[in-house]
Amino acid sequence: MGKYILQRLGQILVTLFVFQTLLFVILTAMPGDVTNRMLTNPDIPPEVRERTRQALGLDDPVLVQYGRWFQNFITGNLGVSYSEYPTPVIEILEERIPRTMVLFLAATIVQFVVGFSMGRALAWQRGGFFEYGSTIVGVTLYTVFTPWFALMMIFIFGARLHWLPLGKFLTPILWRKVDIPGMSDSLTKANYVFTRMLWTATAAFVIWLIMAYFTRNLSHTKRNRTRLIATVIILAVSIGGWAMVDIGPLAWDITKHMILPIVTLTLVGFAGTMLMTRQTMLETLREDYIQTARAKGLPEKLVRDKHAARNALLPVFTGLIISLPSVISGGIITETVFSWPGMGLTLLNATTQEDIPLVMGTLSFIGVLSLLAHLVADITYAFLDPRIRYS
Amino acid sequence: MLSKKWLVLAGLLVVVGILFTACQPKTVVETVVVTVEKEGTPIVITATPAPTEEATPEPTGETEKVGGPGDVYRIAVLSDMTTQNVWAAYDPDASIWNYAVYGSKWPSAYGLSTHRWDFVPGIAADNPSDLEQEGDFWVCTVPLRDDVKWSDGTPITAEDWAWTAQTVLTLDLSGNWEAYDGDYLDHIEAVDAHTAKLYYHTKPGLARHQYGVLMSPILNKAFWEPKVAPLLDEYAAIADMDHDSDDFQAKREAIVQKLYQLDPTGEPSGGAWQFSQWEKGAYSEISAVDSYYDKGLKVTEYANGALKEAWPGGREWGFGDQSGDVSAEYTEGPWFNSVVFSIYNADAALLALEAGEVDFILTPNGLSRGQVDQVSGNPGISTAQNPANGFRYMAFNFNVKPLDDIAVRQAIDCMIDKTFLTQNLLQGAAIPVNTIVPEGNSYWYNPNVPLFCDGLSAKDRLEKAVGMLKDAGYTWDKEPTWNESRGGSVDWGEGMKMPDGSPVPQMELLAPSAGYDPLRATAGVYIEQWINQLGIPCKANLTNFNNILDAVFGGGDWDMYILGWGVSAFPDYACDFFYTDAGFNVGHYSNPTFDKMCDEFYAETDMEKARDESFKIQETLATELPYIYLFTTPMWDAWDNNTVIYPFTDINDGIGSGGYGLQNYVQAVQ
Repeated sequence: MGKYILQRLGQILVTLFVFQTLLFVILTAMPGDVTNRMLTNPDIPPEVRERTRQALGLDDPVLVQYGRWFQNFITGNLGVSYSEYPTPVIEILEERIPRTMVLFLAATIVQFVVGFSMGRALAWQRGGFFEYGSTIVGVTLYTVFTPWFALMMIFIFGARLHWLPLGKFLTPILWRKVDIPGMSDSLTKANYVFTRMLWTATAAFVIWLIMAYFTRNLSHTKRNRTRLIATVIILAVSIGGWAMVDIGPLAWDITKHMILPIVTLTLVGFAGTMLMTRQTMLETLREDYIQTARAKGLPEKLVRDKHAARNALLPVFTGLIISLPSVISGGIITETVFSWPGMGLTLLNATTQEDIPLVMGTLSFIGVLSLLAHLVADITYAFLDPRIRYS
Repeated sequence: MLSKKWLVLAGLLVVVGILFTACQPKTVVETVVVTVEKEGTPIVITATPAPTEEATPEPTGETEKVGGPGDVYRIAVLSDMTTQNVWAAYDPDASIWNYAVYGSKWPSAYGLSTHRWDFVPGIAADNPSDLEQEGDFWVCTVPLRDDVKWSDGTPITAEDWAWTAQTVLTLDLSGNWEAYDGDYLDHIEAVDAHTAKLYYHTKPGLARHQYGVLMSPILNKAFWEPKVAPLLDEYAAIADMDHDSDDFQAKREAIVQKLYQLDPTGEPSGGAWQFSQWEKGAYSEISAVDSYYDKGLKVTEYANGALKEAWPGGREWGFGDQSGDVSAEYTEGPWFNSVVFSIYNADAALLALEAGEVDFILTPNGLSRGQVDQVSGNPGISTAQNPANGFRYMAFNFNVKPLDDIAVRQAIDCMIDKTFLTQNLLQGAAIPVNTIVPEGNSYWYNPNVPLFCDGLSAKDRLEKAVGMLKDAGYTWDKEPTWNESRGGSVDWGEGMKMPDGSPVPQMELLAPSAGYDPLRATAGVYIEQWINQLGIPCKANLTNFNNILDAVFGGGDWDMYILGWGVSAFPDYACDFFYTDAGFNVGHYSNPTFDKMCDEFYAETDMEKARDESFKIQETLATELPYIYLFTTPMWDAWDNNTVIYPFTDINDGIGSGGYGLQNYVQAVQ
């Protein structure tokens, strides 16, 4: 296994190099550069633009620019943004990543849970209204034009019904009045809250995992009941804890703003997981061990959840792992429509403004995570399926 | 099983119910369109009568700052600010999103009035002295007010101004800092705390003096000097190096980069607003400065062009004959405790305005006609249309024959029916433009420039254009003619030859694609047809905006292009665009007479004379046509009339782009 991992790491480095080189070539092949915006301002003489190009090194040959960028990259320096000059790229990424992570992690998990649960149920109860209805609705939403659908969601639930906010991730009128004592100057208030929300979620998840581990040998009914109670307690403690701190209302405000994007992302995306789960479940249900389990007289629910669903989980889970980098990269469409200033929106703005360091930094970061996610997926395979061995 | 079906049915009913509720029609309200004649420029204000049972909204006026909803003026912006650092904000980070939030934080000796763009004092006590020669220098003395203070209570002095200018000149800062132009300005001397003396080594004109140094930002010396001093020391260490060497430039740039990264936290404000907080990606906020020295300043504008400014303490300033009809009267605030700039995308911003989440949408290009239509039935939203301070144009490459021939350019101009283009094709979404100074900039706008074929029919246009070309010696294998038999159309010219007998080569017209700007794309397609009708082979290439910039400004191969300019208040850009070998003169137009006119205009220090010279420049350009001015689009703004009221809405370039939301004047509706 160790040798395999080392081999894969070597492949990752080569892939990363090729990826970045291609990326740089494509970006520099775009017409113009970031100083083009100066051309639209008659108050800025062309000489000033030339001087700016020199200062940014944009008049150097492409190879020199690439060499400079790559040298910086391997020393951990992603350079400074041209469009937010001279803010370091790493600073911009640090600011945007938590926002994207909170939204897309939540959306991915909800999407996975909904998709997996429905897929499992569909495979179990074939031929009914529920199957046809869910499939038609799921596929329709899966193929719908996302920006239009997201705008419709905002229009219906935000503008007309006033149930949910109209995009953004916080309510300025609420946040402007709040001071957070002891907060580092380098953080924004939102990131302070986002980071703590992420920590809370992580801690809750870890506690839940520990609880799940220790309850694994209980009987099916007892285990489910215990886990349900424990889940409720964990949620209650987490929410109660937030309710008691000063920044609780801020977290609640962020949560309210997350509902619409999460619902939208779930609606347009759950069908993928649902259909894949349904398909793998159907294959699993034809296996001999399912028939054996039924022949033993095990309850149907137990056969479904323990014997069938668990084995059907493997490809679905792999898909989830591979999709995890999108938790960091965000979604350009979603973030744009919901005015959510995360990585997707940053990437879009940086690209339209030809802010090469920021685009390179963002995509490199996403690239590294994608490659690592694939590695993690391969390794997880071996743990989830004992038949898989790497040599 | 039955219960599941009921559950599904109930779910469906809920969805249908939600959609039904959301799709309820809006209340239809009668809309009144009021047209106000303002110095020849029609300003259309779309207003909706207030419900009769409610009192007409009244501004809170000067009585007190209001609490509650009126406490905060909420502006929707489409992009975040990028820096708080003034040094960066005036150079690489110059953008409307930064200026909108804190552009008024730094005072200047003089400025342009918000409403009519008159030249008025800022922190100056009176008009500047005339420029006089004193030894090798041209000097001007500016008296400063003794009642102007930074937000920390310390006075704004000539020392602040002198230090700011010296720092910019020493570090040779660029971008908008170029207003302290080292090619003219030598230094500024603080004669005493309230008297500044400007020393120019070259005599400056209005652009460099009145509209340059006198309007440049002044920074707080006490705050910045300790932070900037180490950088000036670093610069002193390299000052003796060859300034053209790469080594020097790299070291200078490193110093400037440090300057842009200096922490501005706690910087006192010299204006009406103090920067308060910035939640990156979400919102920014400015708070009113209680001790703002111009609070309560009453401005009276007269129909005859005169202006009077009266401060609460009895101080007055003005110009012109301050009698007769008053055209506008307003009092400066700020009247809100703070302004919050929330970031939305364009669609969400409009929904937020309708939902009462924001009071105003600030966009650099105004709202689109479709967006205005979307909110026009809403009784709580008012809209205003103003002329844009910019224009779309078509340019020629004078290095390409026969485009260097005035007859060809005039013939093409003759063929372009701007009224048909704007009214029929663009359905009133654009307004024809005939000169380089936009009509909204009324003082400098020349309404009487020569027009070719204006008001003629398509037949007459064609015949006149063909006549112009024939007079210049152009011939055709088949001359373009008007064909009455088909209900009126043109039989295109073929085989057009230049006066020397050589065929007219194939031309390319670059224009932005419809995705970027449908108006210019449509214009490009029709202009291509009109040019082809004359027998000039032309193909419109609708392409990416950056492709055009690259071809035109990157020294590429091009014949004609369509782009646009947003311009400044002072029309020296007319010369910047067309002076021989000027950086923006990418079409290589060269006319010694025009250059001479520009030399005089650049050097002119008298406003009236400069205006006359500007008029002549506009006439020359409208005749020689290095650009054919096509059209401009109106600037539409929308605001919540339940929460805010503006003392005026007729403002050149719109309330958003031209007035940044009129933060100093907007009042809360009680």
